[in-house]
Amino acid sequence: MTERSGFKKPVKVVIDGREIVAEAGEMLLQVALDNGVEIPHYCYHPKLSIDGSCRMCQVKIEKAPKLAISCNTPVADGMVVDTKAGEVVEARKAVMELLLLNHPLDCPICDQAGECYLQDYSFGHGRSEARTTSPRRKGVKRYPIGPRVVFDQERCILCRRCVRFTHEISKTDELRVFGAGDRSRIATSQDRPLDNPYSINVADVCPVGALLSADFHHKRRVWFLEETETVCPTCSNGCNVKIGAFRNRIERLVPRRNDEVNDTWMCDHGRLNYAFVQDDTRLREPAIAGREPREPVPVAGPIDYTRDSDGREVRAAGPSVDEAIAAAAASLRAAVATYGENSVAVVLTPTLTNEETLLLARLVREELKTPHFALAVPLGLSDDFLIKPEKVANARGARDLGVGPGDGGKDLAGILAACASGEIKVLWVVGSDGLVAAAGLDAVEPAVANLEALLLQDTNRSALTDRATVLVPGCTWAEKDGSMTNHAGRVQRIRPALRPPAGLVADGEVFARLASALRGEATAPFEPRTAFAEVAKAVPSYVGLEWARLGSRGLAAGQGA
Amino acid sequence: MAARVVTVDRRSLRAKGGAFGARAFAKGLSVTWRHFSRNLMGWVRGTPTVATVMFPEEDVVKPAAFRGMPVLVQMDDGKERCVACGLCEWACPVDCISIDPAETPDPIERHPLRFDIDMGRCMYCGLCEEACPEEAIVMSDRVEISAFSRGGIVWNKEDLLVPQDQLARRLDWIRRSYDR
Ligand code: SF4
Ligand code: SF4
Ligand code: SF4
Ligand code: SF4
Ligand code: FES
Repeated sequence: MTERSGFKKPVKVVIDGREIVAEAGEMLLQVALDNGVEIPHYCYHPKLSIDGSCRMCQVKIEKAPKLAISCNTPVADGMVVDTKAGEVVEARKAVMELLLLNHPLDCPICDQAGECYLQDYSFGHGRSEARTTSPRRKGVKRYPIGPRVVFDQERCILCRRCVRFTHEISKTDELRVFGAGDRSRIATSQDRPLDNPYSINVADVCPVGALLSADFHHKRRVWFLEETETVCPTCSNGCNVKIGAFRNRIERLVPRRNDEVNDTWMCDHGRLNYAFVQDDTRLREPAIAGREPREPVPVAGPIDYTRDSDGREVRAAGPSVDEAIAAAAASLRAAVATYGENSVAVVLTPTLTNEETLLLARLVREELKTPHFALAVPLGLSDDFLIKPEKVANARGARDLGVGPGDGGKDLAGILAACASGEIKVLWVVGSDGLVAAAGLDAVEPAVANLEALLLQDTNRSALTDRATVLVPGCTWAEKDGSMTNHAGRVQRIRPALRPPAGLVADGEVFARLASALRGEATAPFEPRTAFAEVAKAVPSYVGLEWARLGSRGLAAGQGA
Repeated sequence: MAARVVTVDRRSLRAKGGAFGARAFAKGLSVTWRHFSRNLMGWVRGTPTVATVMFPEEDVVKPAAFRGMPVLVQMDDGKERCVACGLCEWACPVDCISIDPAETPDPIERHPLRFDIDMGRCMYCGLCEEACPEEAIVMSDRVEISAFSRGGIVWNKEDLLVPQDQLARRLDWIRRSYDR
């Protein structure tokens, strides 16, 4: 027996002989699913209105004259439900046969295969052979129904989830059912393309392979993907996502459900913003001005060329990460010794985890002792649904951890002006994209032109890369473990889905090594789990938050008590 | 428990064994001689009577059920029949198949951009053939995988493609034996 709490009147129902307490007004299907009773369904979606069009969810209810669709039957006290009765099994078989009547059975070339409701239910509830001999109805195939979505009309089972999505969630109303009966089909109204900031979500809600993400089209079979639960890095909403990776490359992002953050949705921009992790702009080699660069190490493929036959890493001559860190430490120390602490400034683009940010903040305050510490947050368009104006994941976390100018410190514009005037000699930039986006290249160019040293820690090539005196390449969010805080103060875990490029370490480890180089004594290596305990102590509203309790959905700041 | 004692007469056993050994030896030799003379006569007459052939100059015709290296069926238009569904890749117990799917402008919208089989790992089990929904990968009668490098025994799509009329016998056999 499962207890549920709520304001509504509790009712007792019996499903397959099990007594379950639910709230009055809840739908039978949802109650069953919440309690681990599997009832097959197509058109029902927990975040969309109820349609009742597929008839797959029929169950037998005692004293009812006929089978009822469980998705649209509110639970009532004393209801006795049988989800496995003979009539139910027969009804499901009939529904499956009807749905497959015109289905092309494209599974070998269909991207949905492996996560397709039609496949699963056909195994579980259908018959294995077709009884029809007449030819199947033809429809348009791989039709670009929008710039980011591909439509295959033959595979559609007319569950209308996509129609309800565009009506209720994106509120753009592009998709409709046209025609009637056997001629019903999904199409866009007035040939307006399916083009809205959330359009690819229709591929997620579509229970079959009728609507597909163009980006993932024919890319990889889903059963080969290694999935990692993490958080989208593209804006401060922090939508919960799953990375699907294959051979250490991201193949797709899909949203996962978190009712506190993104329900089950994510925006197209966030979903498609992962190429930077693995494209040619990625920085893989540390650099020190005036030194020969390292030979680029060939990337790993089916045969791993990054290791020799004894499994040792193939390394080319050139500065290593540790040498680059030592060079950065030397240049920071020299500037402080010659010109004083105020000659050094630090600018952070908050793409780092909370744990890394804390380490950086401590380094700046306790070792460098410079007050010039600024946050560079790129801003962009937002809406009243998911997309937030701050285009980095952890701006809130950085602010919570106190990143910002100290006593008498300059803000971002002040730091750049002081660099240009020669007052600041060494600028340490952690993430250049935020700096360039927030301040503009016109302000950044004169500032870096007049520096004695530009220390750059970054993941991708930018306008500043070639200007750096010392370059330390870092890890992207997909290669890191840690926590981030979204715009509303929810602390959520990110998890590593990929191995970082050979020889590179997470920014937190760079800070730890830099701290030990500056201090001249060994410090403990960076470890996200223990570092999180420090984070929870450092921010008053995080007190009591525990790493293990962050789970897959995170905790709101203040929930620790 | 009382032990049971068996008394063995070693001498007589040894005598029997010796006689048996001599008989067996003579019988063996007669088999060898019979085949030798038959082969010799066959060779002299130009009508060989044994299965042994002068490999690699000569080769034998293998039965349709023979499982050699898996190959890809090439359609008459020169394209592969494979649609890169990945089922063989999944079915292969030793993970020696590796496919990168891609979209094509053809009516069959999907094909393998890359299709590699590591023949050094393949154990000719035929599970890929059984898994394939398109009759696109079949077991051929090829068995030679020698190459000058380790990379050379990874066969790519071009190496693996065999025109379908050369595979007609096997395709026919598959349909019969898998009851398709
Ligand atoms: S396209 Fe997909 S979601 Fe839309 S009605 Fe058809 S099956 Fe349902
Ligand atoms: S709304 Fe923001 S966090 Fe959510 S998917 Fe889009 S970019 Fe990512
Ligand atoms: S024959 Fe067996 S081992 Fe060889 S590729 Fe096919 S499935 Fe793999
Ligand atoms: S199972 Fe057949 S169609 Fe599918 S990838 Fe393998 S060879 Fe190609
Ligand atoms: S899920 Fe109930 S009718 Fe479709």
